[in-house]
Amino acid sequence: MVDLKNRITDIGPPHYEQFLPPVIKANYGKWKYHETLKPGVLKHVSETGDAVITVRAGGSRLMSIQKIRMICDLADKYCGGHLRFTSRHNIEFMFTEEEKIEPLIADLKALGHPVGGTGPGITSIVHTQGWIHCHSAATDASGIVKSVMDDVIGHFEKADLPAKCRIALACCLNMCGAVHCSDIAILGVHRRPPTINHDTLRKQCEIPNVVASCPTAAIKPAEVDGNPSVEIDEDRCMFCANCYTVCPSLPLNNALNDGVSIWVGGKVSNARHEPMFSKLAIPFIENNPPRWPEVVGAIRNIIDVWRGDANKYERIGEWIERIGWPKFFRMTGIEFEKVHIDDFKHAGLTYKRSTHLTY
Amino acid sequence: MADDFPKTPLIDELEKGPWPSFVTEIKMAAKDNAAPKDLLGLLEQSYDEKICHWKHGGIVGVLGYGGGVIGRYNDLPEKYPNISHFHTMRINQPSGWYYSTEALRKVCNIWEKHGSGLTNMHGSTGDIILLGCTTDELEPTFQDLAKEGFDIGGSGSDVRTPSCCLGKSRCEWACYDTMAACYDFTQEFQDEIHRPAFPYKFKFKFSGCPNDCVASIARSDMSIIGTWRDDIRMDKDAITDYASNGMDIQKDVVDLCPGKCIDWDGKELSIDNSSCLHCMHCINAMPKALRPGTDTGACILLGSKAPIIEGAFLSSVLIPFIKMEPPYQEIKDLVEEMWDLWCEEGKNRERIGEFIQRMGMGNFLEEIGVEPVAEMVAHPRENPYVFYEEYYEEDDEEEDGD
Amino acid sequence: MADMLSIDEVADIMYEMVKEATGMRKLKPMDLTKNLIEGYGEKVDKKLCKNAIRKLIESERCVYTYFGGSYIELPHREGAAND
Repeated sequence: MVDLKNRITDIGPPHYEQFLPPVIKANYGKWKYHETLKPGVLKHVSETGDAVITVRAGGSRLMSIQKIRMICDLADKYCGGHLRFTSRHNIEFMFTEEEKIEPLIADLKALGHPVGGTGPGITSIVHTQGWIHCHSAATDASGIVKSVMDDVIGHFEKADLPAKCRIALACCLNMCGAVHCSDIAILGVHRRPPTINHDTLRKQCEIPNVVASCPTAAIKPAEVDGNPSVEIDEDRCMFCANCYTVCPSLPLNNALNDGVSIWVGGKVSNARHEPMFSKLAIPFIENNPPRWPEVVGAIRNIIDVWRGDANKYERIGEWIERIGWPKFFRMTGIEFEKVHIDDFKHAGLTYKRSTHLTY
Repeated sequence: MADDFPKTPLIDELEKGPWPSFVTEIKMAAKDNAAPKDLLGLLEQSYDEKICHWKHGGIVGVLGYGGGVIGRYNDLPEKYPNISHFHTMRINQPSGWYYSTEALRKVCNIWEKHGSGLTNMHGSTGDIILLGCTTDELEPTFQDLAKEGFDIGGSGSDVRTPSCCLGKSRCEWACYDTMAACYDFTQEFQDEIHRPAFPYKFKFKFSGCPNDCVASIARSDMSIIGTWRDDIRMDKDAITDYASNGMDIQKDVVDLCPGKCIDWDGKELSIDNSSCLHCMHCINAMPKALRPGTDTGACILLGSKAPIIEGAFLSSVLIPFIKMEPPYQEIKDLVEEMWDLWCEEGKNRERIGEFIQRMGMGNFLEEIGVEPVAEMVAHPRENPYVFYEEYYEEDDEEEDGD
Repeated sequence: MADMLSIDEVADIMYEMVKEATGMRKLKPMDLTKNLIEGYGEKVDKKLCKNAIRKLIESERCVYTYFGGSYIELPHREGAAND
């Protein structure tokens, strides 16, 4: 039984101030400018004259407590027992002495963590749980991320691209990651409508909730073998898995039909162009574990073509906007198909409504 | 114990290559713990069959809270008994993801005692993710963490764990104190984080400038993005330095300005600040020479979300500019106003962005008492189908003004 | 002004509502609140309902669940999701 009296609840997170490195605390709100000493190494200078060095290392998101302790050892050795993480799973070490930079990088390398992820390059891939922990995953997350990062790590370590390239992966349409506004988004997709487990559905799920869960009204109440259940109009299914999230008796996972799609040209920053959604580049690539070579190759191709043609500061979406989508498909060799044309709400707004075309 | 690891030829391939390997991480944890060892076996089976083996488990949590624990069971419990329950706990991260090694080691020790030893640093929303807990260990893990000052974050139809960029702690561009605001809102809405009472989730993300490093405009129901309304600060000597060090200011800065408000005559840079769109590009390109102004605050936008259900949205402007000073009462009052309306009229699983589109932005503004302004739209309506609510009859008395 | 119900009374009424809906329809906290306000008018308000829900949960008579949205239900048998 839970001890109600001595229980601690609703305290919220610990206050951040206790975790700040002394130089950060002393110069809070006083920073003047920064420079990049080399990829992965930043120097921020304060109005007080103080400076802080930041070394950014790539992380794998899924980490063992054993590894966290090793990283803590490095933070103890170099940073007086302080460290932070970035919004994209990178680990940042901060200190004031420039002579510590190279020894720390060497120690990180020995631990298997590359340094980089700043400036015009690729940083760690924001991703979801995949087959590690998710019930609706159409693909694995960590395995594809590892395979892609192994291939593009040069752009992480060297920051040698026209602009930032933010890659993200979500293992289904629920998108527990900002993949819908990424330069390159890898998105797991289901292609088979849910199978109905009539026996368990009766016990597990409330039929009105299930019916209401479908955005396209494809699910209707039905009597099956004299028992209440549902039927699905498969033509109307867009494979969102909303029903499965509401009712476990309607699984969509299917090894033969699940796979990966690739989307390009999104961004969240307001710099230059307004934020944009990613758009469909490759509708479907079969799951090919353990290393998904077709996905890795497709991303490599898009990055190489962009890198070869874009102007400085032009993110993938800005580049495509300049050259036009037909040219994007021609240059990358990606086939344009029926499914590239939107047919959901407001699809008409995505049709080309001018003669501004390249030939 | 390492000897009796399951055979995993497929996922072993993911230990090769230069990027940090999650498989290696799982194996590190598996040396002292049976759960990650079973996870290796299960993952290998998923890699072989190309399908996941996890099931819903939306019925577990800690007493009193409706959020922060994601229930999960595997569908082969006889084969992988040590991960038959494998729930996730979301632990509310400190603002800016700063830690002392002392605090982080305490989290590790607690997780070693009660769970699988596997984590995500961090989850997509920002929490520390403790990956793989049995039902029985949820409460002890929670209370051991609480004694060290950590609490559980959000999940389900509640306020999700707010997150922020590192703001003024290490960024010269931060236009308000994101870490302080994030902490303040998190504490203010503890009840709403832990006890789901909404139609669906509600996310806050605090970005210090329009570069939006926490993707607030794409990933939060309320995006609070720092900006300024006076002139960009300029250091003329530093501009000269950039030019003499070979920067092509015309091509790399002036030509890329979306407001077309910068001039460069080869010696001097001038900015027409009244046309500046506050996009950050020139400042990003020349951080030593240009900085945001000093009359700073935030632009508040509403409604972004991933595709489920009506399609993906970006947030749109609600308040073009507001000063960001504690206790942020004006914003909090507005938030409560919106929540009341949304709880009253919102449908199950309807995010506030979808709710606004369903009822119409104009009606929504009227209900929450916010005046419409032109900054809220990309352009006025293109269609003439206006739903006027009132009209006059011939014999209406002329009334004066009320 | 009508006399307000007590927190315990509201919690009891809510418990009966949840029990009755079990297997037919999942109820969200806001459904309970709306039903109470509809049925008892000025004898209840949102704050009272909120406190009653907290009481209902902390007494372990009901639990929060998640099936694509958060609901209040009777406690499930552990592993019931395995069924």
